Amino acid sequence: MIEARDLRKSFNAVTALDGVDFMARDGEVTGLIGPNGAGKTTALRILYTVMRPDSGTATIDGYDTVRDRQEVQRHIGVVPDSRGLYPRLTAREHVRYFGRLHGMTGQALEDRILELDRTLGMGEFIDRRAKGFSKGQMRKVAMARALVHRPRNLLLDEPTNGLDVASSRSVHTLIRELREAGHCVLFCSHIMQEVANISDRIVVILKGRVAAHGRPNDLLREAGVDSIEALLLNLMGEVEHVA
Amino acid sequence: MWRNIGIVFMKELIDNARDRRSLLVAFIYPLLGPILLGLLISALIGVVSTKPTERAALPVTGLQNAPELAAFLTREGIKVVPAPADPESAVRKGSVESVLVVSPEFAEQFANERTARISVVVNSSRLPGLLALNHLAGLLGKFNREVWAQRIAKRGIDYRIIQPLAIESVNVAAGQHIAEFLLFMVPPLFIFNLFMGGVYLAIDVTSGERERGSLEPLLINPIERWGLMLGKYGAALFFTAAAVAVQLIAFRVIFQMVETPDLGFTRTLDILAILGIFVMTLPLMMLAVGVQVIIATITRSLKEAQTYLGLLPLVPAIPGLVMVFAPVQAKAWMMPIPVFSQTVLLGQMVRGETIELINVAVSMSVSAAVAALLILLAARLYDQEKFIFGS
Repeated sequence: MIEARDLRKSFNAVTALDGVDFMARDGEVTGLIGPNGAGKTTALRILYTVMRPDSGTATIDGYDTVRDRQEVQRHIGVVPDSRGLYPRLTAREHVRYFGRLHGMTGQALEDRILELDRTLGMGEFIDRRAKGFSKGQMRKVAMARALVHRPRNLLLDEPTNGLDVASSRSVHTLIRELREAGHCVLFCSHIMQEVANISDRIVVILKGRVAAHGRPNDLLREAGVDSIEALLLNLMGEVEHVA
Repeated sequence: MWRNIGIVFMKELIDNARDRRSLLVAFIYPLLGPILLGLLISALIGVVSTKPTERAALPVTGLQNAPELAAFLTREGIKVVPAPADPESAVRKGSVESVLVVSPEFAEQFANERTARISVVVNSSRLPGLLALNHLAGLLGKFNREVWAQRIAKRGIDYRIIQPLAIESVNVAAGQHIAEFLLFMVPPLFIFNLFMGGVYLAIDVTSGERERGSLEPLLINPIERWGLMLGKYGAALFFTAAAVAVQLIAFRVIFQMVETPDLGFTRTLDILAILGIFVMTLPLMMLAVGVQVIIATITRSLKEAQTYLGLLPLVPAIPGLVMVFAPVQAKAWMMPIPVFSQTVLLGQMVRGETIELINVAVSMSVSAAVAALLILLAARLYDQEKFIFGS
């Protein structure tokens, strides 16, 4: 379970987060949506421990992301905003490196890599060096190293950005499987169709604040619109109006 | 925690061992200095050990004005050849090494027992010219003494009364001396290499990691930021140490290959001395990698880091380069200065001077303390968001 309470964060004069509250539950997929620059990535970065909030708290399974950073890190798997690979390491070595940093060793780790290989379909390139990987292959490696330690919570920043239809679909399938297994999945995306399709709950972030949250159908009904896109445009209009 | 540092260290080592550029800098570049020095020394030895007969042909003009000199030269086994029309330009062009010019007034001055003029035209900016000058000066000095002894004997004085010293300036060691001078290049070459060896790795594991976008996922693993930094630092230090070891061994191998007359340092650089130098300069290696990691972290981009760090190795090598021409005596106050103290101590080794252990101890401990501060600073940088995201 992931909880954000009144998160605030500024970069020099720019306010990225202006009091963000939301919750992502176990066994559910929570989608963060909002236009570019709304604060989605900053919120995720605080949750996955690479940034500290100016104020407010974030907890993962009850652990504070600042105070109990390493405990939080053991409980999360992340495909972050930047997800570069090491061009001179093979896909398997990438996953092994992260697995070891999570304290895994020996046969247990190798078995887990095999398992991920089957789940993600990395067979043809798992022992090739990452230089020259396609975007789809790179994303699979990023997913595999995020999942290697069987984290309870998953945070994915634009998990299908730049992928073709088939690769996107396999990521969606994986997300659904993780939800079925009781994991808490939090992801952000600017592809509205994707969010509508796979999210159990939606959190709309606009200008560093939560503009709306709830189940997609409830949100659509309340707003009297028939697509997430229209909902977002409506909300953006309101925020502009208020401002 | 130590286990995780070890994991990061090993990963960076394996990763960079697959990088041709890192390997080149750590294992091939260090060879260049010793090879260059070896070539220079052997070329030099080749020049100075020219056989005497090759020097025996001496171009002289106006020898008809000085029959006594001509007789002397014949006695000394010098073969006199006609000089080119314009001696100065011929020497400048290098078609002859030296020309002896006897002035037309020589005969009259010599006959009247006055000081007679004679010119030696050489180009002392060329080593063979310098050697020819040395040779001719010795030759003419001998002639001078002979004539002088005769003239004074005519006046009934034993020349030995007014010659308290008989200086035989037979400089057999000319070549050795210049080769030793070249050995003073060892400290700056060593320092340059020390600051060069791990530099690509230091850039790759910091600035490179950030620019590839692999730093952010790495930071999400349960390891302290300073631990992460230490693992990376250790890998860069390892490559630096490898480069230093490779260069020291290369120096030894080259010195054994080059046929030198007994040059002190080329004989004393045994395995024990190599180990000693390695240990003595280990704190400097730690300091160098600390500087590299910090610069690579605070620069905004990989290119910027490469620009700054590409130039960095030259700076610490400067004192050593200056000392090639202006050697300094090792003094206690120099020892707390990192880079400078190591340069001075290495210079002492090269010159075969005795090194005082207290100096080594001061040099090592101060450099180690500075290195520790740099590591601490680097660890703190890794806790700052602006360096993680590079903006």
